[in-house]
Amino acid sequence: MAGGADNAPALEGRRRGLAGLIPGSRKRSRDLALIWLFLAPSLAIFAIYRIVPLIWNAVLSFQFWSPYKPAEFAGLYHYEEMLFYDDAFWQTLWNTLIFMASAPVGIVFALAVALLVDTNIRGRNVYRTIFFMSYPVMTVAVGIIWQWLFNENVGLINYVLIELGIIDRGIPFLESFDWALPSVILASIWQVIGFYMIILLTGLQSIPPSLYEAAAIDGANALQRFRRITLPLIRPSLFLCFVVGIINSFTAFDLIFVMTGGGPGHATDLLITYIYSIAFRLSKFDYAAAITVVNFLLFLALAFLANRLAGGEAGAVKTGG
Amino acid sequence: MSRYPHWPIHLALSIASAAMLVPFYWVLKTSLTGENIFTFPPSLLPESPHIFYYVDVWYAIPFLRYLFNSIIVSVIVVVANVVLNAMAGYALTRDFPGKGATILLFLSCMMIPFQVTIIPAYLITSEMGLLNSYVGMALPLASTIVCIFVFKAAFEAIPKSLIDAARIDGVPDWMIVFRIILPLTKPAIATNVILSFIWSWNSFLWPLVIVRDAQMQTLPLGLARFLSVVEDTTGALYAFCVMVLVPGLIIFLLAQKEFITGLTSGATKG
Repeated sequence: MAGGADNAPALEGRRRGLAGLIPGSRKRSRDLALIWLFLAPSLAIFAIYRIVPLIWNAVLSFQFWSPYKPAEFAGLYHYEEMLFYDDAFWQTLWNTLIFMASAPVGIVFALAVALLVDTNIRGRNVYRTIFFMSYPVMTVAVGIIWQWLFNENVGLINYVLIELGIIDRGIPFLESFDWALPSVILASIWQVIGFYMIILLTGLQSIPPSLYEAAAIDGANALQRFRRITLPLIRPSLFLCFVVGIINSFTAFDLIFVMTGGGPGHATDLLITYIYSIAFRLSKFDYAAAITVVNFLLFLALAFLANRLAGGEAGAVKTGG
Repeated sequence: MSRYPHWPIHLALSIASAAMLVPFYWVLKTSLTGENIFTFPPSLLPESPHIFYYVDVWYAIPFLRYLFNSIIVSVIVVVANVVLNAMAGYALTRDFPGKGATILLFLSCMMIPFQVTIIPAYLITSEMGLLNSYVGMALPLASTIVCIFVFKAAFEAIPKSLIDAARIDGVPDWMIVFRIILPLTKPAIATNVILSFIWSWNSFLWPLVIVRDAQMQTLPLGLARFLSVVEDTTGALYAFCVMVLVPGLIIFLLAQKEFITGLTSGATKG
């Protein structure tokens, strides 16, 4: 991964530096300084906004602290309160798990679409664009649009359901304890499905066509080819989709903030929206930090699991070289 | 594959595409007529469209101010991303002690979603006195690990011999950068510009946390604020939605390829 770079600095030193009288060491150290200078800004940003906050957050979760009083060691106080006395925490944790568990629904649908647009039909690029278009648009606006599609009285969804004779009168989707979470999840799947499709499409296109030809010659039918060739070979892509689905439960903040504000009650609160309310509405930064630790551990555990199931490839960056 | 008739595929894809497009169509239609808000059952085609609601938005909120703020933040983010990621990406193509550790550090940072660092990030930003500021909004997005690796791959793809040949011919370094390296890394730059623009343009949680001043609000904040003021009883809200959706959509459609390349090469947001 890291290998294969150049020995050029030494060569250059010989070529340039007074025909090799200076053995390249000054050039080398200048080079090193330049390399670290180039890395410094990015490293600084990641230190300030990723690494330090992560550590600080962990420390904060073991303290009594607010902007108005000095820190004091709290031990496991916040964790005890969270685990034993905070029903809302358990509900938001449960909601987050349901939200993550809904990812496969979107992934299966996206796989179907990816298989269809991977054929050589005319206009497949147009279809791809249409499916992907919902992903890069502003989530706040998406939330507003869906909030209103779900509206009890004038929403399109209720209108269609009534017209089809499935229900008699409108359902207040986003105000109902039973329907609010599934409704938000549907909107979220709508937005992320194009991204799943693109990931799966990349996976499908990396399968050599010769495999299918060989299988067809051996008499394998379409279903067998799908199960024996396609599915095993796109397994890394499938689990990469799942990782994206897990991350989506963080980025769904915008959607939930706009559509329901976490309500009714805590019916649509995810850990991230709950953390936001506790920290920035109630100013209980220390307690919110403890919940954040749980949220992060949950994320790590699931990402690790998905990675293992995918054979260690999901989320890996092609570092080249 | 060609043995199969194509029409069932077209049928299935058309139905699914329609489902994907309905929300876009609906918001556009309502922003032009407002009729679904007051009338039931809704009509499927826009009847007597007008731009009244767009005018309404224009006077109801400081749209230009929000737009200006969004553009400033996005420009800072995009410029910072291209410059910083290109620098870091180039550094990673060289051999130096600590390279393995640096790459490992970058990769582990990818596993820390920004959302789980939000509380200390807020406190740090507050300590630096950057609350309610453009720089404060832009800084966490100013460098992106995915794009660093995109640049690294692009630099590694440039043949060394090309640059050496130019050096031997006595081409000055700045000219090598502008005449050889930049043109060859154009796709990487485009990918980075698109990704960072879309991320900062849509960014909501972070500005929500650090911006209190109404004068500093970006478009998503303005939109959420407008929603809380007007509820959903006016077509102006949907006109506002269209006005914020359109720039992002246009840029995406123009640069779809770069956007998708960038996402699939890293595939983690943030």
